[in-house]
Amino acid sequence: MTKRDPYILDRPTGRRVRVRDVLLCVGIAIVLLLLVEGASIRHTGKTMSPGIERTAVRAVGEPAGWVADRLPLSDAVDDMTGWLSPDDKLTGPGGFENAAIVEPAAGAGAPAPITPDYFDATKIGGKNVQLPKLRKLLVTGDSMSQPLDAELARSLTGSVQTVRDPHLGTAISRTDLVDWGKLSVRHATKTRPEAVVMFIGAGDAYPLPKPGGKTVECCGVEWAALYASRVRRMMDTYRRGGAARVYWLTLPFPRSEGGQKVVRTVNAAFAVAAQPYRSQVRLLDMANVFTPGQRFRTAMTIDGKQTIVRNPDGIHLSLAGARLAAELIEARLRADFRSIGG
Amino acid sequence: MVFPTVEFAIFFPIVLVLSWALMSRQHVWKPFMIAASYTFYSAANPLFCFLLAGITLGNHGASKLIHGSDDERFRRWVVGAAVALNLATLGVFKYYGFFAEEVNGVLDKVGLGVPVPLAAIALPIGISFIVFQAISYTVDVKRRVIEPASPIDVAVYLSFFSHLVAGPIVRAREFLPQLAAPRDPRKVALGAAVFLIIVGLIKKVAIADTLARELVDPVMAVPQDFSAPDVVLAAYGFVVQIFCDFSGYTDIAIGTALLLGFVFPQNFRSPLGATSFREFWQRWHITLTRFLRDFLYIPLGGSRGGKLLTARNIMITMVLGGLWHGAGWGFVLYGTILGAALVIEQYFRGLGWRLPKWLGWFIVFHVVALVGVFFRAPNLDIATTVLGRLAHPGPTTLWTLPVVAMVVGIVAMQCVPQRPLDALRVRIEQLHPVALGASMATAIVLVAATVSSQGVPPFIYFQF
Repeated sequence: MTKRDPYILDRPTGRRVRVRDVLLCVGIAIVLLLLVEGASIRHTGKTMSPGIERTAVRAVGEPAGWVADRLPLSDAVDDMTGWLSPDDKLTGPGGFENAAIVEPAAGAGAPAPITPDYFDATKIGGKNVQLPKLRKLLVTGDSMSQPLDAELARSLTGSVQTVRDPHLGTAISRTDLVDWGKLSVRHATKTRPEAVVMFIGAGDAYPLPKPGGKTVECCGVEWAALYASRVRRMMDTYRRGGAARVYWLTLPFPRSEGGQKVVRTVNAAFAVAAQPYRSQVRLLDMANVFTPGQRFRTAMTIDGKQTIVRNPDGIHLSLAGARLAAELIEARLRADFRSIGG
Repeated sequence: MVFPTVEFAIFFPIVLVLSWALMSRQHVWKPFMIAASYTFYSAANPLFCFLLAGITLGNHGASKLIHGSDDERFRRWVVGAAVALNLATLGVFKYYGFFAEEVNGVLDKVGLGVPVPLAAIALPIGISFIVFQAISYTVDVKRRVIEPASPIDVAVYLSFFSHLVAGPIVRAREFLPQLAAPRDPRKVALGAAVFLIIVGLIKKVAIADTLARELVDPVMAVPQDFSAPDVVLAAYGFVVQIFCDFSGYTDIAIGTALLLGFVFPQNFRSPLGATSFREFWQRWHITLTRFLRDFLYIPLGGSRGGKLLTARNIMITMVLGGLWHGAGWGFVLYGTILGAALVIEQYFRGLGWRLPKWLGWFIVFHVVALVGVFFRAPNLDIATTVLGRLAHPGPTTLWTLPVVAMVVGIVAMQCVPQRPLDALRVRIEQLHPVALGASMATAIVLVAATVSSQGVPPFIYFQF
């Protein structure tokens, strides 16, 4: 018997058709998809970063969305397939969407109440107050919060319940994927953590709406003020009137110059937003830890050893970088809470 | 660009129409296909296109030199240099960071400091697949299996977008003959292509991504939070996840190539039903297995030098095969364990031992699940923590019906005779083009409904 040459390819099974049948098949599929998913394509185009791909998707999505809006197909399909979606629909109060001016959170309006933890008892000679107990920690944010969330969860396991809720690709300045106004309210009311670690802002350069319907482009002072208003409201929501502490991480500077400009503004907005809350909202200065002098570096010395702390994308922390950040956060948690294991 | 995205859904029909419109004019079709493929590749990072072009030109130049000489020593020298350059490219982008950290670690321990500069180098998507295909071309020219192709044909071969970023590893001797003449516009395997695209989408988006989100990722992130039953299911789940992720990509790649008139080799044949390790490698990532066999195992001596040398050759091939997946000790361990399993199996086969099929399947599946932990865990510490949790009985927090059904269903489908599934495939392949188009649209809508707000995660093998 002759041995078969393994490099003679198996011809595919099934009947053969002409190219016009191929184009008919693909054409039918495209038309049906445009009619049913036109609005989704338009939405996808809006959420993409600027570039040729976004232009192409918007060129298809805008007219397809217009047609889909006028047909009942999209809603009917949504109703039929909604059960397949893995996402909880984010509903409820507190959304930033369409809010030209960010109103204070419910119950706010007055200055933040001053609680004993605002003071360092050792400095004023008073008796130390007993530190609160940390039972539940929420680690959230955009892609920056990964793998930090897992590092923290691993190191705190056994003593603290760590809830990890990263939302990749989201930003405070955009509400289409996740509205952080609503999400922070949900976190505060449903998850109810005693401490929140927030690491967000790497993709925050989207135009923000201002009164009068116009938008402000990143990253001048007007944008920074609008952005800081949103951040302040989130901080206020998360601190739950003093029942929880918020650990808001500043962003290490990225490699790209464009990104550095954004991060400079975003970090400044964090600092301004946190001012009224003092110890209840602590800014943990990751920018200075990883990028002292606002200068990007790939590696730094950890425990006497040069270690890569940033990912090749020049934005995110590497596993070792996230581990270092987790250690710094854990040290801060130990100072603010009692009964953290380790 | 990722297959199951809106961007690709816009890109592909345009390329499909223009490709067939230009098919009869090959001098136009080839530059068009190169431009389309480079556009596809540049979506990740336009700078990587220069690397792809450099690899293409370098290997084309080497093959010309090899072909133009009858001096065997010169030919060997050139092919050696070409392979070394290809591997050096791979080494710099893929292994430099790992190498520098490990070398510095060792030197630092003996007081010599950290002399190797550290750098986080961005990994070009699919670099391993590109380099392996380039090596296969140059070496096959040296072996006189194929004639050197024109630079434009080499460029089409190496950049062809369907296999560009995650295989299958199509050998030059399989692809270049298909470029010799225009594809026949009267003989397109439409039914087979649509079937593969639908199945690939379901595997990747509906199954692999769901298993990752609901089962595997939580356990691998914080294994301390989970007890033995969850860890066991996550280990099984990862085997199914990576199979569905990778074979799903391959299915879509083969399907899109068929629509463009090209035939690619199979990459998977029900590997989770394998009853021996040897059989597993004949069914899993077939194009990598045969690449390693032809370009590493056989040149090392294969099975020609007795049992000990064969065992050595298997171990070298498997460890390097493990390391091919990425720079990390987990991948080394992955290759080492699977290599040792092959050696042990071969030893007992030599003694005439045969296991019952069910027992063989049980052992193979569980060893694959075990090494999957080293493959998936971010580092060895986490991998050992995951395995350590097997000693902690406790509640089942991740055993939901959909997750268990996916794991059991995918494994069971590969263990039963293939005939019922084949019959379904044949039936779908025979459908009228309009029905096929409607089926594809319906499948895409249903699969899209399972995507989370985070979007479709990249294919696992993109990073390799």
